[in-house]
Amino acid sequence: MTPGLMATTPGGLLLVLAVVVPVIGILALWLVRWRAIEWVAIATLAINLVVSLATLQAVRASDASLVYLVGGWMPPLGLALRADGIAAVMMVMTGAIVAVTALYARGQFGFDPHGPERRRPMVFWTMLLAITGALNLIFVGEDLFNLYVALELLTFAAVPLVSLDGSRDTLAAALRYLVFALAGSVLYLLGVAVVYGAYGTLDLVVLAEMRGADGALLLAIALMTAGLIAKTALFPLHLWLPPAHAGAPAAASAILSALVVKGSFFLILGLWFDLLPPGLGAIGANGLGMLGAGAVIVGSVLALRQERLKLLVAYSTVAQIGYLFLVFPLATGSEAASPFASLAWTGGVLQLLAHAFAKAAMFMAAGLVYEAIGHDRIAGFKGLGRIAPITVLTMTLASVSLMGLPPSGGFSAKWLMLSAALGEGAWWWAVVILAGGLLAAGYVFRILVPAFSTPEAPAERKYPVAPVRECAALVLAVIAILIGFLPLAPWPLLAIGRIAQVSP
Amino acid sequence: MNVLLPLAALFPLALFALSAFSPWVRQRLARLLWLAPLPGLVAALFAIDGAVTLPGPLGLALDFPGAMLLGAAALIWLAAGIAAPAFWREKLETLPYQSWWLLTMTGSLAVFMAANLVTFYLTFSLVSLAGYGLVTRDGGAAAFRAGRVYFTLAVVGEAFLLTAFVLLAVGTPSGSMAIPDVVAALPASPSRDAALVFLILGLGSKMGLVPLHVWMPPTYSAAPFPAAAVLSGAAVKAGVIGLVRFLPFSAALPGWGEALAMVGFVSAFFGVAVGLTQRNPKAVLAYSSISQMGFIAAVAGMALAAGRLAAPSELAFYALHHVFAKGGLFLALAAIATTGPRHLRPILWPAIVVALGIAGLPLTGGALAKLAVKDALGSGLAGTLGSLSAAASTILMLHFITRARTIAASDDRAEAPLAIRGAWWIAAAAALLLPWLLFPSVAGSIGKVLEVKAIFDLAWPMVLGGVAFLGWSRLSRRPELPPGDVLIVLRPAATSVRGLTDRIARAEAWITTWPVAGTLLLLLAIGFAGAMVAAR
Amino acid sequence: MSLAPIDAATLYGLTGAVLVGIGLYGIVLHEGFIRRLLAFNLLGGGVFLLFGVIARRGAGAGFSGDPVPQALVITGVVVAFCATALAITLIERLAAEDDANDGDGSS
Repeated sequence: MTPGLMATTPGGLLLVLAVVVPVIGILALWLVRWRAIEWVAIATLAINLVVSLATLQAVRASDASLVYLVGGWMPPLGLALRADGIAAVMMVMTGAIVAVTALYARGQFGFDPHGPERRRPMVFWTMLLAITGALNLIFVGEDLFNLYVALELLTFAAVPLVSLDGSRDTLAAALRYLVFALAGSVLYLLGVAVVYGAYGTLDLVVLAEMRGADGALLLAIALMTAGLIAKTALFPLHLWLPPAHAGAPAAASAILSALVVKGSFFLILGLWFDLLPPGLGAIGANGLGMLGAGAVIVGSVLALRQERLKLLVAYSTVAQIGYLFLVFPLATGSEAASPFASLAWTGGVLQLLAHAFAKAAMFMAAGLVYEAIGHDRIAGFKGLGRIAPITVLTMTLASVSLMGLPPSGGFSAKWLMLSAALGEGAWWWAVVILAGGLLAAGYVFRILVPAFSTPEAPAERKYPVAPVRECAALVLAVIAILIGFLPLAPWPLLAIGRIAQVSP
Repeated sequence: MNVLLPLAALFPLALFALSAFSPWVRQRLARLLWLAPLPGLVAALFAIDGAVTLPGPLGLALDFPGAMLLGAAALIWLAAGIAAPAFWREKLETLPYQSWWLLTMTGSLAVFMAANLVTFYLTFSLVSLAGYGLVTRDGGAAAFRAGRVYFTLAVVGEAFLLTAFVLLAVGTPSGSMAIPDVVAALPASPSRDAALVFLILGLGSKMGLVPLHVWMPPTYSAAPFPAAAVLSGAAVKAGVIGLVRFLPFSAALPGWGEALAMVGFVSAFFGVAVGLTQRNPKAVLAYSSISQMGFIAAVAGMALAAGRLAAPSELAFYALHHVFAKGGLFLALAAIATTGPRHLRPILWPAIVVALGIAGLPLTGGALAKLAVKDALGSGLAGTLGSLSAAASTILMLHFITRARTIAASDDRAEAPLAIRGAWWIAAAAALLLPWLLFPSVAGSIGKVLEVKAIFDLAWPMVLGGVAFLGWSRLSRRPELPPGDVLIVLRPAATSVRGLTDRIARAEAWITTWPVAGTLLLLLAIGFAGAMVAAR
Repeated sequence: MSLAPIDAATLYGLTGAVLVGIGLYGIVLHEGFIRRLLAFNLLGGGVFLLFGVIARRGAGAGFSGDPVPQALVITGVVVAFCATALAITLIERLAAEDDANDGDGSS
């Protein structure tokens, strides 16, 4: 064990802030009048964004992970918080998207004394902050049980957002989501029990140092992986995602699709790349890749067939999650091809980032479309470009990233993953990536072509939409595009503090 | 002058953005469309050898072959932009087409300036995808059917091209994405063969090389005349510039070159053969494009086989003539369709000259184009096939002229608006005269053109073709094929694809039932454990 | 082989395994969310029992029981309780919606 690794580093306190600030925000929500709720929440999220940016800066400046030992206790006895390069990037992504979503959602969840759910604003803002805190905890958590609690917090905060409008369909979707996620969590918890029984510690770094390769560890990783992919909604376990994401209010869908599913994915990355002994993942990684391929194809085909925009976007999420899992076979493919493995690794992270920003923008735009014309049936989109130009621009930019046209984060991700696939000679993954791109082009054109065309009779805008909200969605789409201006090469940032490097 | 390059690329896009947000611009935009390509034209004249690095992965550079095609494309966009508002006169306000027009133009012009792989892919995709909006501009079932075929081939072609580009980048040790660097590394790259296959597939689908040509005839038949003019004149040249840029002419690759030449000649003769079975003059022109693009591919192939360094200029020069000739003939059709017999002559006669120019009528721009690529074809089998393809083109162009007359307006006094006629005359003049100006820079002394042997070499295939056409036109029963020929064969395949997606949707519905998904969850846990234990 | 070697830890372990099995069966194959929720609680109970076994089995350094798994179980019970409460609320709301719809006579 590197001695310096297991001590609180300068700046370690930032990790505590990242977890605690949203919690303090939640408490503050209950102390203020309901009119002030929004502002308290937005202020909290602004502070959170600053904290995550500071974390990223600190990681970059020190070129090493930030570590905080809770109570000064060393693992295995104590809990450690730790942010490496990728965790810091995830925190900034979360902070940015949540903050922009808050601006978009402002004024959306009013206090309605006669509605079925009078406390909607309270629920929404509490859950938004809770999701932020839970995600931060997932990104910096080091202890498998601690991560379990964070995962459950994330699920419990996400479920009420699904059923925020209180209709029967969304309640059913929320319940389906909750119970399926619970089944996944129990499998995860079972894995935790097995790990503790075999190793007597749950700390990821300590476990990685032990370099165990016995049946118990493998069984545990298998159980945890299965549980986590249920929560990530990887095909074929995506049954809960389309109704939940399509039924939630737009601001909530954006968070659910862009961020919440990424939390459990992040943990799978940690398990497979940090914990699993090299070489043992080869077959399993190909299995994950095959599930990902299935997700890309089936999700895209289903997206092509949807009549309603929000369902289309939700199925697109199913497909895009599939791309994320191609990183497992590509980045663990062969030890000799390490330059390609790092291409795939960066490509996977870029896909995660690009999809988060593009999908959040897409769901927000879908919400704005609904408000502008009173429905989200794609067949009725003619003339949308005229009545909601900023929203159509947002959808266009987000679509460019989703179908992987340059310059965009989606293109960079596709390019790096294709380079890894073709460089390693694993052309079958390249075929999947390309086929997904073709189908994505098909389903986004189904939206864009009517939106760009002009109807015979001039379309009318039903309700005015605040320009701030249109711009919030646009900002996210523009970020998805701007990610494509970063160099098309592995990011050194993502290698900072990788456990795999810490213990070579 | 480098600032002209981004200006040329972004000006149409800026106009589009302005029109989206400003009603004032929107109302006037239709009549100002011809302005959009002007910076491109200026850049082609004054910014040769310029290069600009844009933010991120983007970059523009203009060399002489690129400048020739950029200028030609800008000019045909300009001519079509003059004709378009007159053509869509009465539907101008209710069915605007400006957004797709400007987006396609952006890609179409910028592709000639792309300096690296990412920029080329971006512009190539833009011109292909946005073209969909032009194809389906006038609506109708046929247009949307054609649009679907077009879109499918466009995205498939893009996927091929992306594969090729990734292979090019992976095979470049320096990690550079600049086109000259990756092409220099190509001959020694371990993935050379795969990269070339996917390059040819990707570019061939844009150029309409057989069998990836199926989109072209239905598309041009369905597209309105001005849209067909820019698609056939300018947009298709994205494929030609791809050959010019990416084939490693500095290294002789005889095997690959001859294979490409063979593919090219097959398209050249196939296009003529099927074109003769068409009645719609737009479809005839589409098949002529397939034939001409095949000829260009054949020239590129022979140049690649011989390692001919002059090939980029020669190919671009040949394509430049085709920009004006083919784009112009579609504009001529637009004029003919709205003109009665009385006023037809000033439109039809130049059309005859330009059409026969495509077959190499001596002293026309087309003759110069043929002469410029003569050396690349050589005097062997390829040279003979080249002459025979000129003969074949003669037949097809004569057939085109007879078909074009049939769509003239029935009203004897009808006369096309000046804007349409003027646009056609601009294109015709450019097709006949501009090659004279550029020939010395491409192929040396202009005196070559006037030699008796040169004229004879061009004339005999035409005489042969003329005689053959007389024989053909006397046939009492001539076969007829629908535009897109083998598409008919593919229709059952399309139905079965639809059946497949139905089946996928049904399977998905089954998988997402609770007991199935729950069982799968447990099976996956067991499966992962088994997979890891097996790997141990 | 007699039953005598089965000590308390093994018995607990076997019971836990049986509970996990019953729970998984129920959560996958039962219709109705109340049943699935009950199955989830059985499943959770089984896992907590396993933690108990681990506390006894893995106890080192002269302790008769490892306190860490016990702490984990307590936390886990709280989490499972929260999950159950949330699910029950949703089920209730869903039932109320259904009742309201029946009351309308629309279905």
